[in-house]
Amino acid sequence: MTRTRMPGISRRSTLALMGAGAMSVAAPWVARAQAKTIKIGMPTILSGRVAQLGTSSRNAVMLEVDKVNAAGGLAGRQIEMVIRDSKGQPQEAARVARELVNTDGCEWLIDGEASSGSFAVHEVARDLGVLCVHTCSEASSLTADPKQHIPNAFRCVRQGIHDSIVGGSYAAGIAKAKGLKKWATCSPDYAYGRDTTGEFTLYLKRFAPDVEIISESWPKLFQPDYTEVVTKILQAKPQALYSCLWGGDLTSYIDQANIYAMFGQMEVFAVNMADYTALTVVKNLPKGIHSGNRYIKTFPTTPENAAWGDAYKAKYNEYPTNWSWQNATAVMFLAEAAKKANSTDGKKIAEVLKGLTIKCPFGADGTVTMRGDDHTLVGYAIGWGTTIPQEPYVPEVKAGDWKTIFELEAEWKKSKGYT
Amino acid sequence: MTELEAGRAETLVPVRSGAALQRYRDVLIALVAFAVLASLPLFTGSKALLDFLIRCSAYGLFATSLNLLVGYTGLTSFGHGMFFGLGAYSFGLIMQKLGVPIPVAFVATLAITAVIAAIIGAICVRLKEIYFAFVTLAFQMLIHSTILSWASFTGGDQGLRGGIPRPVFLGINLANHVHLYIASCALLILGLLAMRQIAQSPFGYTLRMIRDNAARASFLGIDVWRAKLTVFVLAALFASMGGMVMALFVSGAYPEFAYWTISGEGIFINMLGGVSTFLGPMVGTVLLLLLNDTVTRFTEYHGIVLGVVILFFALGLRKGLLDFVADWFAHRRETGEGR
Repeated sequence: MTRTRMPGISRRSTLALMGAGAMSVAAPWVARAQAKTIKIGMPTILSGRVAQLGTSSRNAVMLEVDKVNAAGGLAGRQIEMVIRDSKGQPQEAARVARELVNTDGCEWLIDGEASSGSFAVHEVARDLGVLCVHTCSEASSLTADPKQHIPNAFRCVRQGIHDSIVGGSYAAGIAKAKGLKKWATCSPDYAYGRDTTGEFTLYLKRFAPDVEIISESWPKLFQPDYTEVVTKILQAKPQALYSCLWGGDLTSYIDQANIYAMFGQMEVFAVNMADYTALTVVKNLPKGIHSGNRYIKTFPTTPENAAWGDAYKAKYNEYPTNWSWQNATAVMFLAEAAKKANSTDGKKIAEVLKGLTIKCPFGADGTVTMRGDDHTLVGYAIGWGTTIPQEPYVPEVKAGDWKTIFELEAEWKKSKGYT
Repeated sequence: MTELEAGRAETLVPVRSGAALQRYRDVLIALVAFAVLASLPLFTGSKALLDFLIRCSAYGLFATSLNLLVGYTGLTSFGHGMFFGLGAYSFGLIMQKLGVPIPVAFVATLAITAVIAAIIGAICVRLKEIYFAFVTLAFQMLIHSTILSWASFTGGDQGLRGGIPRPVFLGINLANHVHLYIASCALLILGLLAMRQIAQSPFGYTLRMIRDNAARASFLGIDVWRAKLTVFVLAALFASMGGMVMALFVSGAYPEFAYWTISGEGIFINMLGGVSTFLGPMVGTVLLLLLNDTVTRFTEYHGIVLGVVILFFALGLRKGLLDFVADWFAHRRETGEGR
């Protein structure tokens, strides 16, 4: 009846609606029929300015999933990844995550979202009770804040607070040795930039009390022109500069600062420099920039790490990113937990994951641990070194000391009222 | 003059009774629509479908309220998303910090939105066209920046974290998926009905007159500024309702809700569905969300697909879908009568 009265487009939209309805009703049945494979859903950012976050995460996940599948799968079940774009919008991330579980029949989630999106997916995990591993969000509060804590979510990511402790102590050592007292900072104006810079200077001053911050710049995230920031820093004449700019922002900043020969005039500490996304893109990488390790295949200096980096490069024709090793580690954790539990039941896996230590190419001592009390990754390789303009880019990395990290992290948690 | 007055009196009477009839018809349609939507969970267990309709409610309220400004008053607001974000944040913050019952938070959020919209509107509606568009955009960015920088209160760019508590009220538990769905549908239907009443009231026709010829409206004794401000505040209230539905859906509020892209989506929806019919934006909402959800399932290059679709509507149809259908019907009726 409807069709005869409203031909043309309304018929098409009716059909589209019916199709969508049928799909959403039928999909769970299809999923159940194929229950031999286990579907893992992954919302991540595959489009827009930080699409590389999603693509390099996806690459790493697939690299590891192929290995697990070749070795027989998770407790006998082959893994099927369902990876979708959230466009970096939290409401889309929430929608996609819910759809992956409710419609596509995904039993677990790997959350490849950054900042606000990861919190949105976290709420979905809270709501649906599905096992969820965050793999890209470095915001410390995601796991440090007890209000966020849920039994079924884990975070397999480096953390801002760990980086700041290691960076602060490393920088303080150099500040003392070279007498660097006047410091400037230049970091992106959003929560990550503000928090990380605040924590870095806190620990820098703690280890080297006579350091003084004489200039602060807060360029906007994704700002194209850094001229005024560069000239402001040059006018302040600091002896050292700290920056947690990252990715494209960091590379444009360096390219523009190079014009003013900034890097010859002060020691530069850029925590996010030692990542191939930045190292390989900068036109003239200056020698001697101090950087934390993001991902670099020469640190840790083990054959396993080098092999992993090469395997990734061989498959995808580019080097892995920081997000890559984190996602790969997440799959390693899940595979090991499934083996231990001999099951793919989310609750059992969550129990096993607590406090689980696995062998891992990215571990400081060849292993990494999913800390039991706050469900977060510790023991990963973390250190600082200086750059050279060609491969291996950061030839020597001084490893951070996890004992110090644990002590100061506990103190920091107390100061934030988290414990 | 007397002839004119007499003529007007004659035409007014049937118009009034017609309006009353139409009002009853609208209420009836609303009731039927609500009954159909509310009984849907009885027929399908698909959570994805319910999720889809909850999102339709949030965006539908937002886009239809934008149409009150764009379609009915001729005020093209580029910053309407600020009220969507404001609703989500006010509601979330009130629930998190004060722990009051949900209806109280709901009313309080509407009150806050009304006050802020009145202040912003008082400045914006004095301006016309591109100036109005840009000043609303500026206010939106102001609110967005405030959310980002006031991190201790709003959570900054990570949004309101820790979930929005949803205590049970009147036997309604919004933590339950079906309850949330029915509540969203109820809000959508009530909101649409209220907006329809506004659009069909004498005030609604005043708005159309302002859109078509503001100078003439002014000469007829209408306080144009006041009418524009009133509709600006009313539209903000419905956008804020949409924001609250979204906040409940994602159990949080994020700065992206107050970003210009949300306003852009609202305008996109209006272009898709059409601005000359009341339900145009609702049709646009369903279309955009369907398109978005299906396209993102298959490709990450959804931007290209959506771009092509909007080009088709802008250059091909030159109007929204429902406008096109309405015109086609009108055309058919005319030619039918001609025969």
